This record gives sequence, structure tokens and C-alpha cells, in this order.
Amino acid sequence: MVSDSITSGSIPSAAIAKDFAKKKRANRSAKLKQCKLDARREQWLSRGKDKGPREDWEPGHRHGRGSDQSLDNLGMNRSRDDDNDGSVHQYSDSESQSNSPTGTMGVLGGNHSVSKCTRSSTTSSTFSCGSSMGCCSGSTTEVEEGDDGLLDDWEAVADALAANDEPPQNPPLGNVSENENAVDPHSKGQLPSESENPGVEHVGHVHVSAPTSNRAWRPDDAFRPPGLPNLSKQCSLPINSCHCGNGAILWAHIPSAPSSCPICYEDLDKTDSSFLPCLCGFRLCLFCHKRILEEDGRCPGCRQPYRSDTVEADPSLPGGGPTLRLARSYSME
Amino acid sequence: MLSAGSNTAINSSSEGSWVSPTSVPASRKRIQREMSELNVDPPPYCSAGPKGDNLYNWIATIIGPPGTPYEQGIFFLDINFPFDYPFQPPKVSFKTRIYHCNVDDTGNLSLDILEGSWSPALTIAKVLLAIQSIFTNPNPYKSQMPGIAHLYLSDKAKHDEVAAQWTLRFAR
Repeated sequence: MVSDSITSGSIPSAAIAKDFAKKKRANRSAKLKQCKLDARREQWLSRGKDKGPREDWEPGHRHGRGSDQSLDNLGMNRSRDDDNDGSVHQYSDSESQSNSPTGTMGVLGGNHSVSKCTRSSTTSSTFSCGSSMGCCSGSTTEVEEGDDGLLDDWEAVADALAANDEPPQNPPLGNVSENENAVDPHSKGQLPSESENPGVEHVGHVHVSAPTSNRAWRPDDAFRPPGLPNLSKQCSLPINSCHCGNGAILWAHIPSAPSSCPICYEDLDKTDSSFLPCLCGFRLCLFCHKRILEEDGRCPGCRQPYRSDTVEADPSLPGGGPTLRLARSYSME
Repeated sequence: MLSAGSNTAINSSSEGSWVSPTSVPASRKRIQREMSELNVDPPPYCSAGPKGDNLYNWIATIIGPPGTPYEQGIFFLDINFPFDYPFQPPKVSFKTRIYHCNVDDTGNLSLDILEGSWSPALTIAKVLLAIQSIFTNPNPYKSQMPGIAHLYLSDKAKHDEVAAQWTLRFAR
């Protein structure tokens, strides 16, 4: 997933990336999500490149109340940035997104990202990776409502929301969480709106993209704050891989087949020793297994009922292979 | 005489369900194996073995664990293996009188692993360890003797005193 996005990261324009994504969507929806993620990152990269002229661009892109509000927020943000180095960078980055060539960044986007930034600068502590993005879209809209006139309340809202928010100063976690999270809001916010109502798309898109852009720093990004920890740590944080890892560990830890059945103490032949009827790894001979099935049908090792699907696969096994594979697939679910 | 008895038992138990003719040797082999393992590596404060010639009829002893009112008592237990052991739990009963809320007047004890929670993977050694554990931690909420359980919950010191008296009187 990550490698995919890196390889396609050379495409500078997000519009191209969007076409790219549309082609993919025709194929499979799963791929679509991934392409959206790629597009997100591309926008991301291009934003970083466009960062230079952003100060000039910035106010022109906004208009009316939104820009005023955001400027107010900017002031708040800057004043608060003194004690928070990372948020300065975050701020500049999210600002630059409004002049990124995607065209998807609207007024709301800029406004929202600023407020988001300020909010995250108030946040200093840890966060829960998994739940963060799910609430992002909801929380941002709330913040924008707060922007309508209640600047005083805005901080309270931000504080209340801060518990759910991710401090973007933590790129390893943020990057990983982006992999997981970016998919969901996309499918929710962008996909339906694109197909049904193109006007809504911008809003949805912005909502999704802004928090995402707040968090991911490419390791090769020139504007990446030097103070941020190295991205190589990302590998040491096995959020995605831990699932597979657990499975692998689970199956690696299954004790090798005992030489004799623990129930009847008869020697296990080749068929018996490759027979694994229960996910807990308790092995027994086919005779005892059959006998248990006729009675209470619970695994002697874990006392859980034998799964009928696994049991049904028993007769088909010449060497226990099918059962093993079947069981593994269940364990991954 | 032994073989005749076991054969009739097998015949009666084989009705209706699949019981291979090797069932007798299966349980026999298993019990023999457990016996040799108990001889090699008995659990602490425990011993068990066939009472006589009958492999399916054992006698076991548990010495009261230190720190309990049953300390230094020697408690004899009868273990009767069903012929479809280990698919059915062994029947265990105290032969020595004991003041314990999970053991009734006749020595029958209530232990979950000897009833619904039995697993064929359990062995006599594990059963003895489980019985030892209820010496240390009686379960008054699943008791055979409500009076003892009530005393245990209301006045544990008194309960322990009586239990120690019984241990001194019956188990030494």
C-alpha cells in the first residue's frame, strides 16, 4: 500500500491523479480507495512544492467571512505557536493546501485547516490512532460551525474535540494511521458525493483531505521539520502488520505435533499428526476426535465447541493440509 | 474376573453410539500411562495408584497443604475410572471424613472439572491438584454442605478451627 503510493508519487497534479483514480474505480472499489490515498499524497507533495508563494496567494483564494475568520484564527495560532514548534510547520503546510493545484481545496478547506491546526497545537499529548480519523470529518464541521461567530466558544469546542484529535507532530503514528483512516472517510465523504452531487464534493473532499494533510510528512519532503522523528520508525509500529504478524505468531507457536495422542496415548500417524481440528492447536488422533464429536463436541484443549466447518473438512484431508489452510483463513478474520 | 467385568461394561456402554472394540485397550492404555507418569512425577502432596488388580479402581492420597486447616492430614480418595475414560470424567470421592463445604457426608465432592467442565485432556494428576486447590480455596457458593459454607463465609476462624479438629480426628 505504501509502496504503491510512493511509486505513483511522481505525478505532480492531483487532477491527473483523479483521472487515474477514476479509471481504477471502474475496476475495483478496493483499488479506488488506494488510489485516493495516492492522490492524497500527491496533493500533499505538490503542496509542499508550492509552499514558497503561499503567503501571496493565500488571501486571494479566500473571500468574505471565511478569510477573516481564518486570519483571526491565524493570529491565535501564531501566538500559540511560540511554545509549539511543530504546529508552525503544520500550519504553513495546511495553508499551502489552498493554493495547491488540485482545485479541490476551497474556502472551507483553508479555513478548516487553520482551525484544525490551532486545535492541534493546543493538543500536546497522545491520541488513539484508530479512532482519530473516523471522527475527523464530524469534528471539523463542528469547528466550522463554531467559526460562524463564536470565537470564544471555539476554543472550548477545540478543547473538547482535542481528545479525539491527533497532534500532527507525531508523524510515524500519523502516517500509519493515515493508511488506515484515509480510506474510510473517502469512501464515505467523497465517493458518494462525486457520483450523486458534484457540488458537494468539494466540501467532502476538503473535510477529508485537510486532516490528512495535517499529518503526513514524506521523508523526502524538503519542508519537513527537522525536529520530527525519523519516519523509519513507522516500520516499528506494526499497526497494519501486527494483524498478519499475530496470525503468523499464532501459527508459529502451535506446538509441533506430539508423538502420541494426549487422549488415548496411541501413537499419532502421519494423518493424525497433520490433523489440526481446533484453532487452539490442540492435536489429537482422529479416533478420539470422532469420539468427542459424538459426545459433547468440545475441544479438549480449549473446551470450545469444535467448529463444524473445520470438522466437515476433515474427511477431505489426505495430509491435513486443507484443514490447516481453512483454519488459518478463519484465524485471519 | 476383572476382564469379564470390563467386557460387560463395554458392551452396555457401546449401545447406540460408536464405541470401537479397542475402547477397553484405549482407556486401559491411557490409565496405565497415567499411572506410570504419576509414579515418575507425582504432584506435590499427592499420590495415586490402583487399589488392587483393577486398573479402573484407584486409591489416592492427598496430604493437607500447609497453611490450611487440613494441614498434615492424610486424605484418602477413591477414584473410579469409567470404561470410556477419558471421555467421561473419573468418579472421585473422599474416603476420609473432611470438614469442607464442597465435600458432603458421604465423601462426594463437587468439582466442576469432574462434572461439566471435564476435558479428556485432563489427567488424574490435574484432578488431584484441583482437589488440593479446593483445600486452600473452598468454594462456598457451590457447596455440598450449606452449613459449612455459611460458617466459612460468616466466621472463617471458627470454620478453620472445626476443620482442623476434624483433620486431627479423622485424617491422622
